[in-house]
Amino acid sequence: MFLTRSEYDRGVNTFSPEGRLFQVEYAIEAIKLGSIAIGIRTNEGVVLGVEKRITSSLLVGSSIEKILEIDTHIGCAMSGLTADSRTIIEHARVEAQNHTFTYEETIPVESLSQSICDLALRFGEGAHGEKSIMSRPFGVSLLVAGVDEKGPQLYYTDPSGSLVMYEAKAIGAGSEGAQVELQQSYYKNITLKEAEVLVLKVLKQVMEEKLKNTNVQLAKVVPKTGYSIYSLGELEEIIARLDEQE
Amino acid sequence: MLQHKDGSVQNHQHGWEPYVDNGGTSLAIAGEDFCVIASDTRQSEGYSINTRFDPKIHKITDKIMLATTGYSADAKRLTEVIKMQTERYFYKHEKNMESHAAAQMLSVILYQKRFFPYYVFPILAGIDNEGKGCVYSYDPVGNMERVTFQVYGSASGMIQPFLDSQVGFKNQQNVDKTRLLTKEEAISIAVDSFTAATERDIYTGDYLEIYIVDANGIHREQKPLKFD
Repeated sequence: MFLTRSEYDRGVNTFSPEGRLFQVEYAIEAIKLGSIAIGIRTNEGVVLGVEKRITSSLLVGSSIEKILEIDTHIGCAMSGLTADSRTIIEHARVEAQNHTFTYEETIPVESLSQSICDLALRFGEGAHGEKSIMSRPFGVSLLVAGVDEKGPQLYYTDPSGSLVMYEAKAIGAGSEGAQVELQQSYYKNITLKEAEVLVLKVLKQVMEEKLKNTNVQLAKVVPKTGYSIYSLGELEEIIARLDEQE
Repeated sequence: MLQHKDGSVQNHQHGWEPYVDNGGTSLAIAGEDFCVIASDTRQSEGYSINTRFDPKIHKITDKIMLATTGYSADAKRLTEVIKMQTERYFYKHEKNMESHAAAQMLSVILYQKRFFPYYVFPILAGIDNEGKGCVYSYDPVGNMERVTFQVYGSASGMIQPFLDSQVGFKNQQNVDKTRLLTKEEAISIAVDSFTAATERDIYTGDYLEIYIVDANGIHREQKPLKFD
């Protein structure tokens, strides 16, 4: 396998004879090095959860931000090279505001997610008049959670620019195991409260450190109030519910 | 005056006139769950009639119509732009544009040409996302207002006070001023407005187009107006 890669993994947009773009595939590999992020869709809203790796006791945990607001009704969790997400998030926020400015309504979640994916393949030399923004593919994957007239939705975007809708999805280090666990525990009419606990339960299984309210971050997007991050107190309460369950 | 080198003087200096007023009148009246939009079809330039049939009302979506007056060429371009943007919206977001979205978009499109405006007075009318009749009126640079009735064009000076009285119940006592007209009332007032206006306004006449937008869709009627 490595023999065939020798030439064609140099150029960022050169197909190999087998029809592969190695740099994009490597970018997808980069996601798997990032800390885990989980999203679960319920009929009452979407829950997002991430692990925050506190690598030093001197590190200020609250400075790690892996769940961000895009618009009042859309939030996203990320895994991979989180610095790469800044360009994407900025683009997404502008796209959302532009929509509201032009149409006096919030942007549909799918359209917003699609606009994120439109960026994914704008690397290398700019083509057909589009300005190139990146020399390489983005090394970050996003879970986009939002609520619109179609109800709560969860989308997964990756560096290849594909967009897929999920009921529950895990990305990042240990996501394979987490996905299996989600598949087993998810059921159609899961409530938001149950989803909160399930997110923490899966995070707990995957994380090396002991799960605390300081090394995870949770957010939800619900129909009426939109996007919100859980406070330390709220996290504490969900952790207590998780402990009770186990 | 333009003095040439040989001493000759050219009196007639032709300035650039990008705008023409093609006359005509459009109105819209919102009801509880319907909307009536009416326009004459005459298109004139000075004392000449260019055509007796140039419709000024266009369908934007199954629930929204656009009525225009002013400069016909600008109105046609504006209509094309709105139709194109509405279609792009449909493909991008996989849903039909609602009236509030189309209304805001039209305002943005007009303001984008703030310093070389479309010489058009648009009225956007139809059914909103709650199924209620809606009328949005604009000036050429995009000031927008949601109203219950609106008339623009060469006969607006004559029709406005009539609508103020008969649709808005202005300056009347012991009447419910918030009452919206029934479909029959609205159509009859629209027809009367135009037949009366055609008598005095030389720029309004030929044919009357009436569109009724409601939950059942868009219904079109055409009536003759005076040809003189």
